[in-house]
Amino acid sequence: MEKIKKRWLKIAFFILAPLVSIATLYAAQINPQVAKMTQHTVGMSPIMFFIMLLIVTTIMGIVAVLAGVGGGVIFTPIMMGFTPIDSYIIRTTGLFVAMAGALVAARPFLKRGITNIRLLFSAAVPYGVCAVIGALLAGYIHNTMGLTGEAFIRGALGIIVIGIGFVFILAGGRTEWPEVKTVDGFTERMALDMNYWEDSLNKVVHYKVTKAWLGLLLFCGVGLISGLFGMGAGWAMVPVFNLVMLVPLKVAATCSKVLISIGDSAAIWPYIEGGGMFPLFAVPCMIGLIVGTIIGTKIMFKIKAGWVRWLIIVIMFFAGIRLLLKAGKMLHWI
Amino acid sequence: MKQERPKPPISGIIYGEFAFWIAIIGCTIATIGIMWYIFGSHHVMDPQIFLTHLLRGDTVDQIWKATTGDKSQYGYWFLNKLSYSDGLALAGVAISCWAAVIGTWGAFVGMLVSPEEKSRKMYYLYLIFILVMAIILTLCAMGVIRLRH
Repeated sequence: MEKIKKRWLKIAFFILAPLVSIATLYAAQINPQVAKMTQHTVGMSPIMFFIMLLIVTTIMGIVAVLAGVGGGVIFTPIMMGFTPIDSYIIRTTGLFVAMAGALVAARPFLKRGITNIRLLFSAAVPYGVCAVIGALLAGYIHNTMGLTGEAFIRGALGIIVIGIGFVFILAGGRTEWPEVKTVDGFTERMALDMNYWEDSLNKVVHYKVTKAWLGLLLFCGVGLISGLFGMGAGWAMVPVFNLVMLVPLKVAATCSKVLISIGDSAAIWPYIEGGGMFPLFAVPCMIGLIVGTIIGTKIMFKIKAGWVRWLIIVIMFFAGIRLLLKAGKMLHWI
Repeated sequence: MKQERPKPPISGIIYGEFAFWIAIIGCTIATIGIMWYIFGSHHVMDPQIFLTHLLRGDTVDQIWKATTGDKSQYGYWFLNKLSYSDGLALAGVAISCWAAVIGTWGAFVGMLVSPEEKSRKMYYLYLIFILVMAIILTLCAMGVIRLRH
């Protein structure tokens, strides 16, 4: 009975969330007062802009951690959906904040040996290469396709962000210690199995990995999305590690964090070379997201944060639909 | 019997330490630079004009043209402008971006000298993976892998 009730609630949410998002965004678009307020922000002073960005990104960082995702995942869609800033600049900054946060967070995982270094570097090669290809593709679209390219990026990101929302709803199947029944020949030869000290069990956990070939193939797609749209990709990496390759959840989460620090470092350079990095925009976002992540980590053990996950899903739907509307408007479809 | 904690791979520790400290140094320099940019007057781009054009949705080229009267500067333009606040802030950002590059080379050296890792199966495969990643990162950071304008 409880299961059926939950399923119906999910279905209702699937239908209602996009409808409410469309209605609210449409109402905001046709309201002259909202348009007037948006025009006023152009006269903002740099110090006010810095403080405002710092506060907004700190909140983003807190909410992201409480929902179990990286700040970079929500930064790019929100900024692209709700600000008039050029998407190339937002994507450069999005990659930078995802990378900076991951660089700072990686240290304790590696020091304690939770991150599987073999798994990390075998995933880093396809992820990193495809992230660079994605970043180069982003530059190409920006330079050659003009407004159509911008509309394509916003529209495609809108679809992806809505997809991420669905991944969050359906990702309840993650398991702490998945059981590997059979290991395929390719993965066996890769020798990816490892052990780590599990504090909660007070013992060494030895785990095996499977379907490495499929995981590595999927990392190509994840890298391409991360590089092209300038966002962290922990939302996709953790399911690939945990649900496809059957890596323990803790190892999957730490591997994904360290992988973002490596792969996004490769993808960020074509964006910097393209001139998309501006310190007045990038630095407060970086500080805000790092501070927000630290605060979020501290309070996540003290509060019940189940509702934050649903908040993130609503934000994702909002941002996704907003991006689709923007893309449609740019192409004069609506 | 009490189990012993497994020793973490040295290559991972080296990567983590390099990545963390270089990123922190970069972020600190970027923060100092941005404070100077906001409160000082020695800059390449006027912050107020920059902000107006950023919030207007202008492209990179339009922002450069409006703030400096010049066309966009690509790559490491800030190395010649380190005495300017925004040049310094951007140098800090670039140092952070170099963190993983140096960290990966450190991890490569760590794996190369570690007897524990040498004794494991497929050692050379992972050594090559790290080397490939280190080369890709270095080429990207040096501006070799980029889109020509």
